[in-house]
Amino acid sequence: MLNDLQLNSILEDFDIAYWKINTLTNEITWSEHFEALVGKPSTQDSIFNYFLNNILHKDYKYDFRTAFESLSSETPQISQEIKLKLQNDKYRWFECRNLKSKENSNKDTAVLLFVNIHQSKRDQYTIEENFFYYRETAEMTSTGGWYIDTLHKAIYWDDVTKKILDCPGDYQVDYEERLRFYATDHQEKALSMFTKCEKYGIPFKTEIKMVTLYGREFWVRATGKPVYNEEQEIIGIRGVFQNIDENKNNELNLQNSLDIIAAQNSRLFNFAHIVSHNLRSHSSNLSLVVQLLSETQPLKDKMELLENIADISENLDVAISKLNEMVTHQDVMTKERKSTSFSSALDVVMASVSSLIKREGATIISDFKALKEIQYIPEYLESILLNLITNAIKYKQPGRKPVIFIQTYLFNDQSFMEISDNGMGIDLDQFGEKMFGMYKTFHRNSDAKGIGLFITKNQVETLGGSISVTSTVNIGTTFKIKF
Amino acid sequence: MGQKIELACIIDDDKIYVNLVRKIIEIKHLSENLLIFKNGLEALDYFKVILTNMTEDKLPDIIFLDLNMPVMDGWEFLGEFIKIKNNFDKKIILYVVSSSIDPRDLERAKSFNLVTDYLIKPIELKKFEQIFDRDVA
Repeated sequence: MLNDLQLNSILEDFDIAYWKINTLTNEITWSEHFEALVGKPSTQDSIFNYFLNNILHKDYKYDFRTAFESLSSETPQISQEIKLKLQNDKYRWFECRNLKSKENSNKDTAVLLFVNIHQSKRDQYTIEENFFYYRETAEMTSTGGWYIDTLHKAIYWDDVTKKILDCPGDYQVDYEERLRFYATDHQEKALSMFTKCEKYGIPFKTEIKMVTLYGREFWVRATGKPVYNEEQEIIGIRGVFQNIDENKNNELNLQNSLDIIAAQNSRLFNFAHIVSHNLRSHSSNLSLVVQLLSETQPLKDKMELLENIADISENLDVAISKLNEMVTHQDVMTKERKSTSFSSALDVVMASVSSLIKREGATIISDFKALKEIQYIPEYLESILLNLITNAIKYKQPGRKPVIFIQTYLFNDQSFMEISDNGMGIDLDQFGEKMFGMYKTFHRNSDAKGIGLFITKNQVETLGGSISVTSTVNIGTTFKIKF
Repeated sequence: MGQKIELACIIDDDKIYVNLVRKIIEIKHLSENLLIFKNGLEALDYFKVILTNMTEDKLPDIIFLDLNMPVMDGWEFLGEFIKIKNNFDKKIILYVVSSSIDPRDLERAKSFNLVTDYLIKPIELKKFEQIFDRDVA
């Protein structure tokens, strides 16, 4: 059996102090170590009151008093975490416990142990605090953590990862099915970056499109780093997914708006060009007439000049209606796309140019089997077909009856239409870049107004497509439209 | 007034404008004769014929070249004309005349050495007289 002295020394080593309480008189004795920690009690007050008022942190006063009073009960059980003010005026955490009295031994003496738990209490707080910050940050930024055990082919997701992938809390992801959480066109990329990380330890940080459990696609920023064991072998990959869908979509929308603005800007330039070249020429002619009128003497000459004014005003009228046509054609944003059938659009066009077709003996062959309809504005498809068909007939090879072949098809999920003719062709080396400009005419053809292709290009581009041309002089031309 | 210009040349597809200029030249007696082409290609063909036949007396003293024309516009004409111009001994004055007030057009026209100046339509009558007077003084 240890004697009191030995016991005291052991308790002291473990930083454990105690009180001895006479349960009959409520007389309290502090252990030496307790006194060493908190200082000697003042003699003016009872030890208990002194303790309550000067040593114990006020938050625990009520609980401690209650617990203390229970000491005199049959089976007292005290276990509390309290803060005590030490000699250096700093509070420290202690656990206060009563020593269970064994049967019949010292029934009227109770012992309260004070165990210093400050360090572990602080560690616990730090962990709780870190965990709090981690959770808040993860929630706020939609960032989920994950671990892939590459040895045992197992995947572990944290709660946030499950949340951003719309998976329930108890969801267990199957290693073999891991690629289903990536968008189809991003699976190859995902597989490649995980494989490179697993095999060669190459970390990754990328933006990739994922798919939730319910098939909703969204953008994440994914980072991953290899995890090594002590033998420096890769045993897993650890990383995070951050949901950046909103940002990414904003970015894409912004880029989209930029493209639209750039396209509209170029249209405005074109418009300014037309105004500059076309409207001004009439006003300058008017001004010349006025100058000449004041210089001309005979009335007959003056009358002649006046006739010019009639011509000028007529030309001006034509120019303005052309401009008007252009502006109305560009006012597409307000119209709605709908399911538009190629063959019915072609029917409309054929009906409206039937006399031209008959006069020129033109043949129009169409093949819409591979792609029967698209989401488009019907008036635009009709206008595009009309322009390209009349163009093909207008620029036929002299002496050859026009044949026009129209075909639609899908390629790489994209819709295409090709319109080929057997006409006179265009020297693309010479005219290629100006092809779709305003008032460009390439052929010595008095009919040419040079506005059709400009409008066609505008219509195609406003609906997000593109148009290109290949041509051989004297053989024919093919226009290819990507919708 | 200096020596009168023998032969002036207008390359322009705007019939009204051409008629008005013809009238100005008549009224003011600015040139004996006038060549008119309605696009660059017609004018170029004419100059090529002169080159083949060595009939330089049919070369104009002054050319007024429009920019926006069908078939061959003013720019294309300039590009072609520059290739054959040095075969002629006669000094030919060339003005680009356009209703375009686009600074890019102006800049581009001045980048050609053979372009004396860029005139914006409408040209004042006084300006016409000055040009014809000063250039063959």
